[in-house]
Amino acid sequence: MTKKKTKIKLELSRRDFLTVAGAAAGSVVAAQALTTGPLSPFGTFKQAQIEGLPETEGHTANGPRWGMVIDLDRCIGCEYCQRACNATNDVAPDKPWNLVVEERTTADTPFFFTRPCLHCGDAPCVEVCPVQATYHRDDGLVIMNYDRCIGCRYCEVACPYDARKFNWEVRTDINPFIPTWGIAEVERRPRGVVEKCTFCIHRIDSGLERGAIPGEDREATPACVNICPVGARIFGDLNNPSSAVSQAIVNNSTIRLREELGTDPAVYYIPPKEGL
Amino acid sequence: MATTTFERKRFNLSPSMLVWLVLLALLLTIGIISAVAVFYRGLIITNMSDTIPWGLWITVDLSAIALGAGAFTLSAIVYIFGLKKFQSIVRLAVFVGFIGYSSALLTLVMDIGRPDRFWHPWVYWNVHSVLWEITWCITIYLTIMIVEFAPVLTEFKFFDRYPWVRKVAHLLHKAAPVLAVLGLGISLLHQSSLGATYGIVKSRPIWFKPSMPMMFILSAIAVGPALTMGVAYVVEWITGKHRISHDVLRSIAKFSGLGILVYGYIKFWDLAAVTYYGRTPAVSEAFNLLNQQTPYNFAFWVGEIILGIAIPAILFLTPRFNRNPGYLVIGSFLAVIGVITNRWNVTVTGLFVPLAYSPGTLYQLEPVQYFPSLVEWGVVTGILGYALVMLTLGVRFLPLFGKEEAHS
Repeated sequence: MTKKKTKIKLELSRRDFLTVAGAAAGSVVAAQALTTGPLSPFGTFKQAQIEGLPETEGHTANGPRWGMVIDLDRCIGCEYCQRACNATNDVAPDKPWNLVVEERTTADTPFFFTRPCLHCGDAPCVEVCPVQATYHRDDGLVIMNYDRCIGCRYCEVACPYDARKFNWEVRTDINPFIPTWGIAEVERRPRGVVEKCTFCIHRIDSGLERGAIPGEDREATPACVNICPVGARIFGDLNNPSSAVSQAIVNNSTIRLREELGTDPAVYYIPPKEGL
Repeated sequence: MATTTFERKRFNLSPSMLVWLVLLALLLTIGIISAVAVFYRGLIITNMSDTIPWGLWITVDLSAIALGAGAFTLSAIVYIFGLKKFQSIVRLAVFVGFIGYSSALLTLVMDIGRPDRFWHPWVYWNVHSVLWEITWCITIYLTIMIVEFAPVLTEFKFFDRYPWVRKVAHLLHKAAPVLAVLGLGISLLHQSSLGATYGIVKSRPIWFKPSMPMMFILSAIAVGPALTMGVAYVVEWITGKHRISHDVLRSIAKFSGLGILVYGYIKFWDLAAVTYYGRTPAVSEAFNLLNQQTPYNFAFWVGEIILGIAIPAILFLTPRFNRNPGYLVIGSFLAVIGVITNRWNVTVTGLFVPLAYSPGTLYQLEPVQYFPSLVEWGVVTGILGYALVMLTLGVRFLPLFGKEEAHS
């Protein structure tokens, strides 16, 4: 036994040496990649998340990032935003993209809580989609490609805000909100794909082409923002410090939903005056 | 063409075989009718909803893949750890694995909203998505299993007249150890990613934990071989031919028993860490809700722990029981039930707990009860029928047990 051991010791060949040296060098490279390299949890991408800086993945730092401020203190719960949205995007009435519910603060004062898709900067739905059918545009919007979606519904499972709805069947219903609350500006989605609020992307894109400014010019602004009778919804470019949304965020204390998840939503809420 | 081949091996239709075939035909018919209904009307006829978008089919899917893990575990034992003793069961294990994986893919195609776009993950990549990785791994692994199995398929008499096919298959088979290693890596990856599918979803308090992938892969490694062992015994009883040595099968049972104990150990610490020592308000609330409104507690303790872990471990590990094939088959059946219960418990309970995101205190999404609809059960019946038909055909026509045993 002991003889054998010494023999092994003596037979440390060049090949063994190279193997060990190679493994050591490989480990150093791997460690480097994991601590400061692209795989690192402390790398630039994750650092941006920690510091709340705009990320490079979702949108360019220089371009716009569309966002919304919803003033819960002003909202009267009229549901106009929901109705206008249902008409403009031809949404099924029982599966609204825009949600309006009555809420109560800890002091038991009622207020109204509304919610579109929050267009997260670090969106769980985008991360889990196996085919990139939902993705970030350069302007930060989280968009669905209905032609690519395979209908696995993982995004629906992963979304922390219940913002996504699946087309379980071919829609043949008559939309009761048309034409009273607007006309359908986009096609109905086919059976078997997931859909959600787009911040009225068709208005933003065509408005920008004509030189309109989303959030200021009505034709480039989401339907829910236009119709709000009390001005509880403000829309605009979060990256532009002089835009109405940026000003509202600077001048008010705002919250975002489930900020602890690190999803970086583009929708900010101004809580009721007395607090939540 | 093929008829001549079949005539030589003419099927002796015993009455019990006839009954069995009729039963299989019935299962397949139910499945096909249900599948046609789903394709025609859409997923609206299932009981899934936007609140519970995944249900019975995902459970079956996860279970079938986990139970197919016997292929990869036993291949690894033979090709990597060099325990040639188990060589005699590898073919059967790979065949059972193939049935499991193909059943899972069939169920997946039923479950997605756009079956016509099933190929999208291969063309449009999202390398960040665990589901993308799973789709890739499952399909690659299915291919590996087919290649591993090619020589067996070509031993089929039909290929007497196409010797070149046989030659290619045997050439491919030379790569079997390489394929087994490759398959091992891929299998290890996706069995755990199936757990990660749930473990990474940060918005669901009872899913979001790092133990999820561990528990998925351990249960698959432990229970997959047990299923293969159980199938071997049942096939032996039905055909009356003693093909795989009972010593090998008992060794597999012991391995499986140990695996189940390791799985139980991880589960114990998971339970302690997540629901006792490190519980967050969200997790406590979720479990309260589950205990009040669903049979979660019962399913967990009785289905997963007692039936799925404790009893099989005793049956597989104590000499008193593991000498008797009857107990081993019961044990593997219970272990399978345990895995299926676990996959159901993970999928449906996680979704049952409503998301809490509103800023106030009053509004909460309503928990929605989910019980699979008739058509969902119908599709699952069809999948089961498919698995049994494949098994029957394989046992009847394929040399699943190697040449020597088949001729003796």
